[in-house]
Amino acid sequence: MARAKLDEVTKIFTEDDGSEVVAVDDVTLDIDDGEFLVLVGPSGCGKSTTLRMVAGLETITDGEIRLDGTVINDVPAKDRDIAMVFQSYALYPHMSVRGNMSFGLEESTNLGDDEIAKRVEESAGMMGIGDLLDRKPSDLSGGQQQRVALGRAIVRDPAVFLMDEPLSNLDAKLRAQMRTELQRLQNELDVTTIYVTHDQTEAMTMGDRIAILDDGELQQVGTPLECYHRPKNLFVAGFIGDPPMNFLQVTNEDGTLIDHSFEYPLPPQVASAVEGTDSLVLGVRPEDIELEPDQSRADDHTISATIDVVEPMGDENVVYLRLADGATIARPDLAEQDAAEGTHVNDAAVEGSDDAKEGIAGESRSTIIATIGGMQHFDDGQDISIRIPPDAIHVFDADSTEALHNRTLQDADAVPGI
Amino acid sequence: MTTAPPQETDSTSSDGIRALPLRTAGYYLLLLGLVVFYLLPMETGFMTSIKTAVGVRESLPFLLPGTDLSFQIPFVEFDVDTMLEQTTDEKWRDAYDTLSRGMVNSMLFTIPSTILCAIFGSMAAYGLTLVKWRGQVFVLALFIAGIFIPYQAVIIPLTELYGFIDLQYRLGAIWALPFLSEERHPTILELIITHTAYGIPICTVLFRAQYQTMSWEMIEAARLDGAGLWRIYRRIVLPLSIPMFSVVFIFQFTQIWNEFLFSVTLIRSSVDEAASVTLILGQLGQAIEGTDFPLRMAGAFVAAAPTIVVYILFTDKFAEGVRV
Amino acid sequence: MLELIAAVRSDGTTGDTGDDEDERSGRSRWERLRQSDFVRSAPFWGPPFLLMGFFVYAAIGWNFLLSLTDYERFQGPDYSNLDFGMYRRMLDDPTFWEATQNTLILLIVFTVACLVAGLLLAILLDREVRFGRGFRTIYLLPMSLSFIVTAQFWKWMYNSQFGIINEFFGLFGLGPYGWLSNPDLVLFSVIFALVWQFSGYTMIVYLAALRAIPQDQYEAARVDGASTLKLYWRVIIPQLKPAMVSASVVLLLFSLKAFDFLFALFDGYQPRKGADILSTMMVREAFARSQWAYSSAIAIVLFLLSLAVIAPYLYQQHRQGNL
Repeated sequence: MARAKLDEVTKIFTEDDGSEVVAVDDVTLDIDDGEFLVLVGPSGCGKSTTLRMVAGLETITDGEIRLDGTVINDVPAKDRDIAMVFQSYALYPHMSVRGNMSFGLEESTNLGDDEIAKRVEESAGMMGIGDLLDRKPSDLSGGQQQRVALGRAIVRDPAVFLMDEPLSNLDAKLRAQMRTELQRLQNELDVTTIYVTHDQTEAMTMGDRIAILDDGELQQVGTPLECYHRPKNLFVAGFIGDPPMNFLQVTNEDGTLIDHSFEYPLPPQVASAVEGTDSLVLGVRPEDIELEPDQSRADDHTISATIDVVEPMGDENVVYLRLADGATIARPDLAEQDAAEGTHVNDAAVEGSDDAKEGIAGESRSTIIATIGGMQHFDDGQDISIRIPPDAIHVFDADSTEALHNRTLQDADAVPGI
Repeated sequence: MTTAPPQETDSTSSDGIRALPLRTAGYYLLLLGLVVFYLLPMETGFMTSIKTAVGVRESLPFLLPGTDLSFQIPFVEFDVDTMLEQTTDEKWRDAYDTLSRGMVNSMLFTIPSTILCAIFGSMAAYGLTLVKWRGQVFVLALFIAGIFIPYQAVIIPLTELYGFIDLQYRLGAIWALPFLSEERHPTILELIITHTAYGIPICTVLFRAQYQTMSWEMIEAARLDGAGLWRIYRRIVLPLSIPMFSVVFIFQFTQIWNEFLFSVTLIRSSVDEAASVTLILGQLGQAIEGTDFPLRMAGAFVAAAPTIVVYILFTDKFAEGVRV
Repeated sequence: MLELIAAVRSDGTTGDTGDDEDERSGRSRWERLRQSDFVRSAPFWGPPFLLMGFFVYAAIGWNFLLSLTDYERFQGPDYSNLDFGMYRRMLDDPTFWEATQNTLILLIVFTVACLVAGLLLAILLDREVRFGRGFRTIYLLPMSLSFIVTAQFWKWMYNSQFGIINEFFGLFGLGPYGWLSNPDLVLFSVIFALVWQFSGYTMIVYLAALRAIPQDQYEAARVDGASTLKLYWRVIIPQLKPAMVSASVVLLLFSLKAFDFLFALFDGYQPRKGADILSTMMVREAFARSQWAYSSAIAIVLFLLSLAVIAPYLYQQHRQGNL
């Protein structure tokens, strides 16, 4: 059990042709004793590399990693008192389950055979694999192998657990099951854990805190709900939450957000928060959007739209809508990407042609997603009004992508960690 | 998904987890040392082959003619005149003269044998792997065991056989034909038959390795489409076997070219018209020239030339053949 | 060399007939027999099988027959008078026992040395290394050469007067050694040269096996606290067992029939005292002394020794379902 501290940790890879790739850029993290920290981000964001630096499987280009106050940069992996669960489990195929689990204790401790056997039995019991101890990994199912991999880490009783996407090779149902089990386990054992995943659901449900990385840079560290309700920038806002937050590109004219098809007046405190910035992005989560079939009940914060598709999920309906009159719905940062690739979203929007919007920007970009109660019923193709409640909006600076205003939460006390 | 980072080339750390934690410089030094170890016999041989008798006496085996070691940079001292004096290509020319007919003979039986082996091997592997029938395992075991039979156990019967079936006599009609009337041809034919027969097991096994990886569903689909065994072989399996054919050619060519025991058995004397290159080289030592090391060295290179060329050009394929 | 046997069958069936096939297509047992794949595939494997069967197995049988006669010189074999006389003679022949002893030493030392050397080479090269392919090519080069060729080089290397090995020892004031003339040294000189030639083979076999071991096992073992030595000893090398076994089979069987090298090294059928092995003795008795029946008997001994290696291996592979 230990505190882990990453101090401005940087990792630069040098390619064969001499070019440099910055995989991890100046990441600082402070992990408490017994905390379950999830490192999350899209593929290639540097989360695995960061984890591997903590493990000692990658060298650290710059910065320091400390375990309980001691700098471990130059300590070899085998001496770090760390246990790791690999994505592919990395079980030793020629050893039995018992052998796999005993190996770490045999190699890194001076314990006697009896003591080791006892611990292995204990951990195996905890993982529910006690009766599999004499089998070989090739005789086990994927789920069982995963438990062995976990058991192998637990039996070491390390200072820190490191987990590199341990659930991604399991099928959906098993994954959900293991998520809860892992959480329970971690609570029971109270070992500091760093968990890497690309799945934001796992991050949200499992972590005490989550650290979001993109392109090697730390975007935000906070509790799941903090990141959900108070995202620091566009990336975090768009990454956390499924279905993702909707973004509307707008201009700020004196406290009113203008898009060429609608106007959205801001409440005074929001208006002052965004004063001085002209290019903005308006964000609103799907669950906050209200659908109003009666077009006559429009108000300042309503936009007309057409329903594209309704996905009934049972407990809720996911409604995909298209805004009328070529409203620009885009992620400015993605628009940047498009521009690099040769597609021009903003131009098309200015042109106002539907074709341009669809064909160039891509379907998903011109769609607003709303989630509503499962009992409400709407038809495909139905014209409708959507209302964006002013207390639920997030506003971002379109150029710097920083969040200028996050939503108000009525019952702040009810949401811990905010 | 874990992303695979590009390979670290940190010179201050061990090169990844996989290897021994040797410092990079020491590691390459070790590898180079091994290069010296593996090339030394040949390098020494080459240097010796271009030296005169005087040169052999005067200079160290692995040095160029007329050179000597010294304690000063560059640790080698030489005098151009002495070097030229002690260099000669006489031995290479002699070797070539002695061995050239052997090379021709070897080519004459190696190439047909290789081709036949490959064909037989491919067909046998097809019939045993891509068609399923009871008892296959036993037949397969016989093929595999056939690779490892010590040839000593068959050479006397072979001598008896070829003595008994006197090909020269029985195929007299063939030998009367214009291209085939040389004295050595019956023996060459014996060699072709022999090498083909003993090459079949390994070629079969090589092809089998590839056929085992072929999609069984693909074959089933073809059969459902109404193709017979021969059709499937000709139109599906054979075209897909081409990479393996090249592996087999390269490997088997080397094996047959380098072989010696059958040459000794069937040809007996290096004086014989049909003497293979290995036979001539091998029996070189029993003649007076036996004490002539530069000649031996030159002879070794001449005899090995084809296989060395094939190896350098097709190393990977050769390795594939060796590995199975 | 026999890794192909260990390859997983792509369709997962055994060598048995396509019973499942027939169930699916509903053919009767009778139809099956009539159009059986055994018969229809026979044109493919039949001729090679017959050719091989005759030249290999029938020939061995004939050899055994010959060993029971008293055939020598130019008499012609007398098949009517068969006995084990040649075998009795063999057992009483001190040359035979010497050759057997040398053969066994060669077998064991050569095989072990090749396995160890090949393993070290493979471990060294199993990583991203500049010119890695070049190094591998060079280490494997000797395998592409005939033993007659390599024997010339080694004869020169071992030469007591001018050979480079004695020159090297001479630098330290040691020697000169009679590498090929000293009965105590000669066998090991031969083994050393053969290991030089064959270690590239074991290297290739191990490299293929090492490549199959995923990277994260190395990492897991590191994180588990294993030192490099322990890592290789407990995690990596045990997984190389199948490769080791198949390579051993090849090496053992090669050393049993190693004749070419010795003939060329000693320029004739009679190797120096201390390096005579069963295969050289056999060929000598046949071609130099025309003792055909006697030589056949020795050949049968060689065959039985090979069988002792190949049969258990094939059986083990069959049991494991790899055949």
